[in-house]
Amino acid sequence: MSDRVAITGMGVVSALGTNVAENLRALLEERSGIGPITILPTRHRGAIPVAEVALDDEALGALAAPRSLRSWTRTALLGLCAVKEALAQAGIDPAAERTAFLSATTAGGIDKTEPVYDRFYLPEIPEEVAQYLGTHDPGDHAQRIAAELGFRDLVTTLSTACSSSANALMLGDRLLRHGLADVAVVGGTDALCKFTVNGFNSLLILDHEPCRPFDRDRAGLNLGEAAAYLVLETEAHARARGAEVLAVVRGHANTNEAFHATASSPDGTGAYEAMRQALAMAGLAPQDISYVNVHGTGTLNNDASEGIALARLFGGAVPPFSSTKSFTGHTLGAAGAVEAVYSVLAIRHGVHFANLRWRTPLEEAALVPVTRTERGVPVRHVLSSSFGFGGNNTSLVLSAPASMP
Amino acid sequence: MKRPVYIREASAIGPQPVFDTDRLERVAAYAGHPLKAVVPELRRYVDPVRGRRMEKVARIGLASALNALDRAGGAAPEAIIVGTGLGCMESTERFFVPLLHNNEDVPNPTAFIQSTHNNVAGQIALATRCTGYNFTYLHRGISFTSALLDGWVQVGLEGRGTVLVGGAESITPDYYLVQRRSGIWKQHDVPNLEVLRATDGGALCGEGAAFFVLGDTPGPGSAVRVVDVDISFRGGPGSLRDRVLAFLDRNGLAAGDIDLLMVGRNGDGPQDAAYKPVEEALPHAGHAAFKHLCGEYFTANAFGLWLLWSGMRTGHLPPEALLRERPAGPLRRGLLVDHFQRTDHSLVLLEVPAA
Repeated sequence: MSDRVAITGMGVVSALGTNVAENLRALLEERSGIGPITILPTRHRGAIPVAEVALDDEALGALAAPRSLRSWTRTALLGLCAVKEALAQAGIDPAAERTAFLSATTAGGIDKTEPVYDRFYLPEIPEEVAQYLGTHDPGDHAQRIAAELGFRDLVTTLSTACSSSANALMLGDRLLRHGLADVAVVGGTDALCKFTVNGFNSLLILDHEPCRPFDRDRAGLNLGEAAAYLVLETEAHARARGAEVLAVVRGHANTNEAFHATASSPDGTGAYEAMRQALAMAGLAPQDISYVNVHGTGTLNNDASEGIALARLFGGAVPPFSSTKSFTGHTLGAAGAVEAVYSVLAIRHGVHFANLRWRTPLEEAALVPVTRTERGVPVRHVLSSSFGFGGNNTSLVLSAPASMP
Repeated sequence: MKRPVYIREASAIGPQPVFDTDRLERVAAYAGHPLKAVVPELRRYVDPVRGRRMEKVARIGLASALNALDRAGGAAPEAIIVGTGLGCMESTERFFVPLLHNNEDVPNPTAFIQSTHNNVAGQIALATRCTGYNFTYLHRGISFTSALLDGWVQVGLEGRGTVLVGGAESITPDYYLVQRRSGIWKQHDVPNLEVLRATDGGALCGEGAAFFVLGDTPGPGSAVRVVDVDISFRGGPGSLRDRVLAFLDRNGLAAGDIDLLMVGRNGDGPQDAAYKPVEEALPHAGHAAFKHLCGEYFTANAFGLWLLWSGMRTGHLPPEALLRERPAGPLRRGLLVDHFQRTDHSLVLLEVPAA
């Protein structure tokens, strides 16, 4: 084990905006990105609210600006935008050093397979269809982004449902600590598609109104689309090249409930263990945590078990907490990284973000989240949780750099 | 502190008869492709009712994982790490196709739930009651080696005792056609045992699963160690040959130290050419191949590692696997060199410690 891992660059595209500054502004102004479907072609338009990135594919392509737009899925374009922003802030050229690219997704390139799928089997495939023959699988987006930006070292994709990109961050931290990479670009991307909208709709866990995480009367989640990436390097590496350290990674843990294929255990054991182990790795006590960015999807099951786990871990002194999914919706494979970026913003700008639309405490745990965005509060250590489908739970502890007062 | 990482046991399922054994005795020949995994009797590991509801990749993945643990003396894994390039494609299609054809009228969420990419790792965790680290990598030709690298780090550098890693892949008829149209498969049938002589493009499609129990101590019958793992995109900045030699160098080895080279030749003539400079750089080693036996698929290199492990553990490799005989002597170091479509490159170094 060498020294700690620093975060030196961040990029994010979500319903709150196409860069970090726009996302921060929306969070500070309590402006939610959840609204009616305007881009995804689906029969659920008008019935189910989502948090779309407010750019159609053409505008997104222009913003991401790959050398050629051939074969780029929406998932890959979202990712490219966020990776570029993160690299620019960090001042990193992926080709210059051993730069790992660790990316997460759940839907992969399915957003472009859907509209053309039947035409894959035509005797003659038109070019506008043929370009997507090899873009369906999860690895496609990472490979495309890596090729575009000149990554040459370890480039890999992971997918563990809703904890995917938190796990990418965890993996990057581990590789850097062991000296297996010089820099790691970590995060995730997921575009909205019919597959996920209908999948979650068939599970009966989509709220037909904007979601109400941690509220007694919550009725499910809203899906969102986003990409978020962070540049990680050891503190020594950052110091040596004079890079500004935005925050440091102090702890992380991944646990698996082995309880059920989709549901989390009602007593929140997996969530509790992930948070407890992440704190233990960070060498912090529960009272050291200044703010918790909870998973908080707004489903009956998640918020109940997460609430019980919070109450158990923190006793009567649960720190200020909120679910920023009340702004961004649940962005699945991107969610862990989006919330890691927001956690760093909370540290940098001294903010507790609001948990929008909250009114009444849960029946399972009488917890009151942050209801209005609070500014000018010292935030040193943030606990950020991402709990997946099937009980794959990850918690991260991100902290202010030592030099920050 | 770096600790040795042993393959305590392994188990594979595929087009070759390798289930629940440590050697490939009689090689199966196929006239065409895709090559299909021979699914063994799974009653031992998978409840028949549940098994019927699982798609093939989950069944072969689960059975191979549980068999590997069984063979390792009923080991309980502290972490489960799976690689699969496509994940649960059969369930994806079962949800996806009706959705597209019936104006998004979807009957029930079962197929959606089962389509989740980390389903296989989740099933293994449920079966073993493992509540530890659970990751799934889905990155084409390095899906399995990403899992292997992660497990190697866990045991070698992070002090875990027993970690299960593996790869599983099964292709659906529809997705086989899509991939064939994208140009990665041969457009015609070629007998698998002749395919390495082909000069045209495209490989034979296959499928299979292979799992490895990694640990910090040798297994009951296996002292083979994973010394190092290297993954690169497009083979890194230099040539593949340079990458291989640098990999050996960072482990204090020279080309002459490798006794057996296992390459990922798959019968795609232009793409197989990338292995030639590597083979020429290791003239003293025996040369072997595996993708003509199992077919090409995203996690085929898990079978390649199984075959290399098998050769090093038993001293036996079927003659059909050998491209070049090895001079007599102990088989101490084996090197797996594999690429998928010249983009995803993996190097794995195995060693049997001197007695």
